[in-house]
Amino acid sequence: MSARFTRRDLFRSVPGGIAGAALASLLAAESRAEAPAPFTDLKPRKPHFPAKARAVVHLFQNGGPSQMDLFDPKPELDKHHGQSYADKLAGEIEFVQSAGAIMRSPFKFAKHGRCGASVSDAMPHLATVVDEIAFIRSMHTTSITHEPAVYMIQSGKITPGRPTVGAWVTYGLGSENQNLPAYVVLDDPKGLPVNGVENWQAGFLPPQFQGTRFRSTGSPVLNLKPDAERPAAVAQAERDLLSQLDLMHKRDRPDQPALDARIASYELAARMQLAATDALDISKEPQRVQEMYGIGRGPTDSYGRRCLIARRLIERGVRFVQLYINSHIWDTHNNIATELKAACDRTDQPTAALLRDLKQRGLLDSTLVIWGGEFGRLPIAQLPADKDERKAGRDHNKNAFCTWMAGGGVKPGLTYGATDELGLKAVEDRVSVRDWHATILHLLGMNHEQLFIEQHGLKEKLTGVEEAHVVKGVLA
Amino acid sequence: MRCTHLPLCALSLLVCGAALAADPPAPSFQKDVRPLLEAKCVRCHGEKVKKADLDLGTLVGVLKGGESGPAVVAGKPDKSPLYEKVHKGEMPPAKKDALTAAEVETLRKWIADGAKMPAGSVGGGITQHDVIPIMLRHCTACHGRHKQEAGLDLRTPAAMLRGGKSGPAIVAGQPAESLVVQRVSAGAMPPPKRLVEACVKPVEKSELETLTKWIAAGAPVVDVQPDVATTTPDTLVTDKDRDFWAFRPPQPVKVPAVRDASRVRNPIDAFVLAKLEAKGLTFSPEADRVTLLRRAYFDLTGLPPEPAEVKAFLEDTSPNAYEKLIDRLLASPRYGERWARYWLDLAGYADSEGKREQDLPRPHAWRYRDYVIRSFNADKPYDRFLMEQLAGDELADYRGAKEITPELYDNLVATGFLRMTPDATWANITGFVPDRIEVMADQIDVLGSAVLGLTMKCARCHSHKFDPIPHRDYYRLVAVFKGALDEYDWLKPEIRPGIGPESVDVAPPRLLSFVTAAERKAWEAQKTAGGKAPEPKIQAMWDRGEPSPTYIYRRGDYLMPGALVGPGVPSVLTDGKTPFEIRPPWPGAKQTGRRLAFAKWVTRPDHPLTARVMVNRLWRHHFGTGIVPTLANFGRTGVPPTHPELLDWLAREFQDPTPQPPPPRGEGEKNPRDPITGKDAREATPTFTPLPSGKGAGGLGSSPWSLKRLHKLIMTSTTYRQSSAINPDAKKLDPANALYSRAPLVRLDAEALYDSLLFVAGKLDETRGGPADAVQVRKDGLVTPAGTAKGWRRLVYVQQTRKQPATHAETFDFPQMNPNCIERRDSTVAPQALHLMNNGMVEQLAGEFAKRVRRDAGGYPARQVEAVYVLALSRAPTAEEKKLGVEALERLADAWEKQLTGEGVRDAAERKALATYCHAVMNSAAFLYVD
Repeated sequence: MSARFTRRDLFRSVPGGIAGAALASLLAAESRAEAPAPFTDLKPRKPHFPAKARAVVHLFQNGGPSQMDLFDPKPELDKHHGQSYADKLAGEIEFVQSAGAIMRSPFKFAKHGRCGASVSDAMPHLATVVDEIAFIRSMHTTSITHEPAVYMIQSGKITPGRPTVGAWVTYGLGSENQNLPAYVVLDDPKGLPVNGVENWQAGFLPPQFQGTRFRSTGSPVLNLKPDAERPAAVAQAERDLLSQLDLMHKRDRPDQPALDARIASYELAARMQLAATDALDISKEPQRVQEMYGIGRGPTDSYGRRCLIARRLIERGVRFVQLYINSHIWDTHNNIATELKAACDRTDQPTAALLRDLKQRGLLDSTLVIWGGEFGRLPIAQLPADKDERKAGRDHNKNAFCTWMAGGGVKPGLTYGATDELGLKAVEDRVSVRDWHATILHLLGMNHEQLFIEQHGLKEKLTGVEEAHVVKGVLA
Repeated sequence: MRCTHLPLCALSLLVCGAALAADPPAPSFQKDVRPLLEAKCVRCHGEKVKKADLDLGTLVGVLKGGESGPAVVAGKPDKSPLYEKVHKGEMPPAKKDALTAAEVETLRKWIADGAKMPAGSVGGGITQHDVIPIMLRHCTACHGRHKQEAGLDLRTPAAMLRGGKSGPAIVAGQPAESLVVQRVSAGAMPPPKRLVEACVKPVEKSELETLTKWIAAGAPVVDVQPDVATTTPDTLVTDKDRDFWAFRPPQPVKVPAVRDASRVRNPIDAFVLAKLEAKGLTFSPEADRVTLLRRAYFDLTGLPPEPAEVKAFLEDTSPNAYEKLIDRLLASPRYGERWARYWLDLAGYADSEGKREQDLPRPHAWRYRDYVIRSFNADKPYDRFLMEQLAGDELADYRGAKEITPELYDNLVATGFLRMTPDATWANITGFVPDRIEVMADQIDVLGSAVLGLTMKCARCHSHKFDPIPHRDYYRLVAVFKGALDEYDWLKPEIRPGIGPESVDVAPPRLLSFVTAAERKAWEAQKTAGGKAPEPKIQAMWDRGEPSPTYIYRRGDYLMPGALVGPGVPSVLTDGKTPFEIRPPWPGAKQTGRRLAFAKWVTRPDHPLTARVMVNRLWRHHFGTGIVPTLANFGRTGVPPTHPELLDWLAREFQDPTPQPPPPRGEGEKNPRDPITGKDAREATPTFTPLPSGKGAGGLGSSPWSLKRLHKLIMTSTTYRQSSAINPDAKKLDPANALYSRAPLVRLDAEALYDSLLFVAGKLDETRGGPADAVQVRKDGLVTPAGTAKGWRRLVYVQQTRKQPATHAETFDFPQMNPNCIERRDSTVAPQALHLMNNGMVEQLAGEFAKRVRRDAGGYPARQVEAVYVLALSRAPTAEEKKLGVEALERLADAWEKQLTGEGVRDAAERKALATYCHAVMNSAAFLYVD
């Protein structure tokens, strides 16, 4: 806080009373005047302070990736394997009836890269790029249920209706490309994540900051191509006719900015049909690049396409690209050995390829890549109805999960924070979801306290009313 | 901890240093701390004033803390607000009261030393009200109202002493002998394996301690009455607070005199014109008749006029042709379909529960939707409309009624109003107490934003920072609804076998098999005949007569219950000394009558907000902005009214209309005469030009709280009838149209656009009401209404789930109901253009439109162009437009012809060209914007 005595200070120190009413109304009037008009356009805007990262790729891993099977080895699990522990977790388990004993990881860990970060053998490709990555092992959240936890990680609160991180970032920074949406969502053609389209909503921010879905196969945007094909000459003749009609309409109605905006929106739509088509045309990429992303091969094809498209969008100045996989593939309640492996098989190679590709093109310095889900998993087994331990999985855990960041402004080759000996709870350098959000904004040159919009008299922020701290330890 | 006051900080370090050296005894509460608090704090935080619910005048008060939690955390000065606020200089607020560095240090040391209290005082503060919330949280699901497992009820101290089959639950003074302590400390209760099933969390250590201490102290029961408004003046809300314009009842206002009285048709115009004239402006000229006709049609029915209706209106030369038009439109059932939608936005209406992935359907919600449509069409007085929605179950004895009449049915269906918010409490894992409280908070939010125009939700966690709404008042409001919405006795949305495992809480779901006798009979008959239609039910809210106690939740946290409160309304909206009177709704009623009392209060004629909020909302939908632009915030942080006198005049006229005058006078009459005095009405101060008696067509009388009457009043004003063209003076002096120097240019909203596309294409199925129409979800995520045999119904009847809204609706700013929507935002974005240009359904409708044109105009291009304009835009094309249209048809036909082969190519190409032309017109600004 600056040494200047701010209005808020004054307010804190005057709780009403004697001059209360008058003063409060004065302050309210001032707070109105003080609040800048909200941004409503996508023009590029300067951050609050200079920063390296200018764009974000958010690799959202819905379902809760298991930290102790991927990035956070726990030898104590091997030691205590089979011991009962469930009673200590009452109220923290979604499926109480199927809670089993402490369970070791079916995966083998090794240290990788110059930094020696631990990655399990479920992710052999990511293991080759750990020197670019900062792992945060000490994340924690507030809910063990997918929906509220996903609302939390995407928008800072466990209830629906608030703007998501991508909406806030594009609200704060605008866009570098006026032919493409500023916030692009690449969801899986196989299906939406938990909470569906609410994952990229603008909430109470103006609607243009909402994410726009690009499909990675076929037509990338809903209605981008006509449902019924029209000959090119007909389409052109219709566009000409429409623009003449609109110009005549506008001519009779001077000084109506809404009509200019409308004509502009039709023009952008036409440009987008071209620009989006070009950005999404990965056939323009050399064969070896496509192979690096695993495109054309069974499990990696779909996610590989999205990762490659993400790079092409970032190259074109899109501010925030968010990737999804259908449903919540990381939600490994059963058969963790095979299910978790299957999730990795679909995403590991494309993810590593994206980091390597961005690096090779000199884009990683200005791009923040974030990876993670909505919570973590428990150290104990979750058993199927027949109690067969070979089919065991892990239940949700809100007290510890692991995410990672790489690129613009992030300290590479870092492992930050720690969980307890079983991986149940974050204990060292704990990072809340709010802290994580504040850090993302900071890496983009924004102060989470200064990025707000006035809503019903409140300054609404991504990080809400409770304290949030930038995690200094992960900054380069 | 950050140091904001360096000198003070340095000083305290010095003091610390000195303390370390000398190591004097720790300060005592009685000797050192208490005098300090009494001198500096209790003036505001004492028994009498108790700001922020904090009483530092007594031991118990210091231990309890205030609305934001404990004031003192033993051993941790940095976590103790009492020390923090004083140390940072935030408290006391007045400089003269500031504590010396030594005094601050005394506080710090006392807390650091464990905040020791005089012997005997610790635990002395614990009463049954510290224990009851613990029981409610952990025990009463199985030992409470619905179930007394092992014959045990743990809701009251008396019942605890009485105990169950295994004996008394508590033995006063002997925690170790008390079964409840034994079972809880052994981890046997609540049973760990049944926690999720019962939506109960394990007992925390601190809770067990509280329970133990209370029993050890002899299980004291104090007689604390719930905090309610009394005849003692309210200390938290002052008369000065009540003096804010929005908290005073609407005031009688004098209609202002204006220079150009010839433009004044009714007092609305005088209020608006006076402000315009003060700026050197006047009204814009009146819009032409066709423009006015289309504006009125879209405003009231959300659909364009049929060509025959246009013709009839233009040919009607009677002086009151326009008034008759308004009456006709208000009498149309399409009016209710249009205006109910605005109310459904406020209620947060959806056909699904939301929040969870499954987004379970709400198969019965449509009955509330139909109720709202029905009410608008019947011009149900707004006060009655509110009464039914807030307390329909307490208006008449619905359980004791011999027959369920349509009136009783409406009473109960109406209570669905506060059942529309997202709700995932049907599942155990998302049905815990905090989840339920979230649902209740949403419902209070709907109430505050839709009905009261206040941002009540701020007061959920702390006293409102800007408006005089204490934390207490929020919980008084919670108590009003407790008979129906009780987080400790919850009615689940629905028990859904196979999805949400049945709860041990045996409370019934919130669906009632309560439909009219006629509908019930019809359903039973079809069932007997082998029909499989599900039992008709309503989604309702009803008082169950046994609300659990309401505690203020400090910082909004249910784990920190504070003072016990009783039902009441925001004090600032009352005189502050009249108790909130609650009576049983009828003799022998089981219901508490709390909501009925609330509903009566809300609809009082002197209520400061109810009428103002509603007239403002109506104004917003006719003029594009509210007189108070912040529709849901009339408080201090809201934007003040642009025309305060007009707002008050409308509010009073709404509740207490000017009596109906003798027969109508025409607008064309040059010198309107005052009906009573016979004087020229334009002389002297303008008086209210009478409305024609609307009994009949529009059903308009002079009944109080009539929305239709208000529409007519507004729509017959000169203000409404202006052109939307901007003249140079207005552009300079009223750029944002804040003074209403012209009519706004408005884009059709999602419903009006969708419905108009269908209407113009001749594919609108006007079947009204009933279950929502399904949508089809294409693989790429495109969501399209499935349609009916006759076409498609209006968008208000299309299934509206929270996760898969129709793409058309979503693209054109249909809001996410989280929990509701106060005001939609109009965006103008590329996906809208893409949708109208490329979407298959729009394309199909253009084809249907072309067929219709061809039926009227045959194959003649010039006649086709004329027909397109008349059907889509309610007017003939200009010569220029006609020329453009004919040429375009030719060019399009040429382009199509090149693609086609076979016989009759030119004819096919011309038909396709016409469809493309219709498609372009449906995309045009002229179609989408209303002047």
